[in-house]
Amino acid sequence: MDWFPFLLSAQVATLATGINLVVGIAIGWLLARRSFPGRDLLGAIVTIPLVLPPTVLGYYLLIALGRASPIGQALEALGVPLVFTWRGAVVAAAVSSLPLMIQSCRAAFEGVDRELEQVARTLGRSEWEVFRTITLPLAWRGILAGMILSFARALGDFGATLMVAGNIPGRTQTLAIAVYDAVQANDLTRAGILVAILSIFGILALVAVQQLGRRLVA
Amino acid sequence: MLELEIAHTWPDFHLELQLTIGAELIVLFGRSGSGKSLTLRTVAGLFRPAFGRVVLNGRVLFDSQSGVNLPPQARRVGYVPQGYALFPHLTVFENVAYGLRGPSAEIHRRVMEWLDRVGLADLAGRRPHQLSGGQQQRVALARALAIQPDVLLLDEPLSALDAPTRSELQTLIRNLQRQLNIPILFVTHNLAEAILLADRIAVLERGRLLQVGPPKEVLHHPARVEVARLVGVRNLLRGQVRGLDPEGLRLLIGERELRARPNPLVPPLPAGAEVLACIRAEHIAIVRPDRPLPPERENLLEGEIIGEMDYGLARALFFRLHGPRLTPDRDYDVEIEVPPYIYERLGLDRIRCWTIAIRPESIHLIPAGSE
Repeated sequence: MDWFPFLLSAQVATLATGINLVVGIAIGWLLARRSFPGRDLLGAIVTIPLVLPPTVLGYYLLIALGRASPIGQALEALGVPLVFTWRGAVVAAAVSSLPLMIQSCRAAFEGVDRELEQVARTLGRSEWEVFRTITLPLAWRGILAGMILSFARALGDFGATLMVAGNIPGRTQTLAIAVYDAVQANDLTRAGILVAILSIFGILALVAVQQLGRRLVA
Repeated sequence: MLELEIAHTWPDFHLELQLTIGAELIVLFGRSGSGKSLTLRTVAGLFRPAFGRVVLNGRVLFDSQSGVNLPPQARRVGYVPQGYALFPHLTVFENVAYGLRGPSAEIHRRVMEWLDRVGLADLAGRRPHQLSGGQQQRVALARALAIQPDVLLLDEPLSALDAPTRSELQTLIRNLQRQLNIPILFVTHNLAEAILLADRIAVLERGRLLQVGPPKEVLHHPARVEVARLVGVRNLLRGQVRGLDPEGLRLLIGERELRARPNPLVPPLPAGAEVLACIRAEHIAIVRPDRPLPPERENLLEGEIIGEMDYGLARALFFRLHGPRLTPDRDYDVEIEVPPYIYERLGLDRIRCWTIAIRPESIHLIPAGSE
């Protein structure tokens, strides 16, 4: 049994979730707490990976980060190319799971009573302190649920990852892609094991999210 | 001292008021939606009106003209919103300590001092959800006062509490007010509470200040018919001034002449002036046949009880005059309120024909056309 896809997927999903945690909290808070022109447009753009075909998403990422783009060239000059490397898989997984993270964070922040933040301000605490000591602690269950969802989604990404990182066994072959590979190679035992593992993990993640959601309400 | 000027227009609402408040407890009294909470939020810096000024002890907190608008952090305002807004994830101690800075020993001392003052020193480690409503309100008060604010804003602080707890907290707030010597703005729609606590009552209706004055003045000398209704005047009778003589004002109400005391708060009313006569239902006396008649100068009227309502703690009687009427266009002339024991002792359920007495000083006049 080749364990590389497990390790790679774990690494990719963890890093993607880490990136999404920061980006998701920032954009989720912005969407929940600030009104500015274009807010709905921003909300739509950060949700679009949920409805676009993964290939389309992958195509955008290839165009934006590939060798022909300024970003791609800059990254290459720095010695950290993205396309067809495991880092490309991280970006693909992060982008395709970001909507789940942002939705969760936004809902979690909207669930925090604004009056608590307002009272905290009258008590002399700065905006950052109010966020750190009131908003964030009261929203953390929702954010944690978002992390689990986002991790599970990142783990399962196929289309965008394939487009951006390719399918290089031992280098960019994640679990989801390994399933495809196993089926192509008619190795149904291996495919079955991988499918079972991914499914069990997905179910466990969703059970955890539901439990968090219930305690959020209680 | 707090000087307050607010003007803000919404499509369906206009808020405009001006108020100067010393080291006193001022009650903002009015129905829901009259602008009371918005006024508090303006002082706290949580609402920014289009026009106005908020000056606290000479410090300009907000001035629409010069563009000054201090954030809530810089205002030194103690704010207790409706529902208290205690931080649910923090203990009682941490809630009260939230606005304090400095060495932790000093913070500890001040938090415990405030918890002691509100009577909660032994609950410092609890979470808000483990407290009763009254205890939560005490924590909210301690938290707001621990920062030594220059003004205290209380938004319907007691409306969610049961009667005994409410009365305990009324006493606490009254005592704190005496010790603190800062302006307190207290929002309520409960008349009894407003009268009990206020140094002055500011009556708000649809975004406007209708009257500001000591409780007794607002209660007995409402400046406008809306105020009269808000303070529970149940007899509002249209009339006309006939003339003034040494005995007082002579009024024509309906088909009757009544005697009233001139209103000390408004310029003397000339003969012919249209007025609204306010008579509180509990200020009308039923004359007992076994007692001497009240003095001649009181308005004595004969009639009968034609209907009643039992409020439990009081009975409302609907009284129709015999002969000339005060209000010929409806079936009763005045509403009278009597305590249950009077009702029973006089046998008002059996004997319906009585003489009633209205003292001239119990008839308060509002110039008509002020509504």
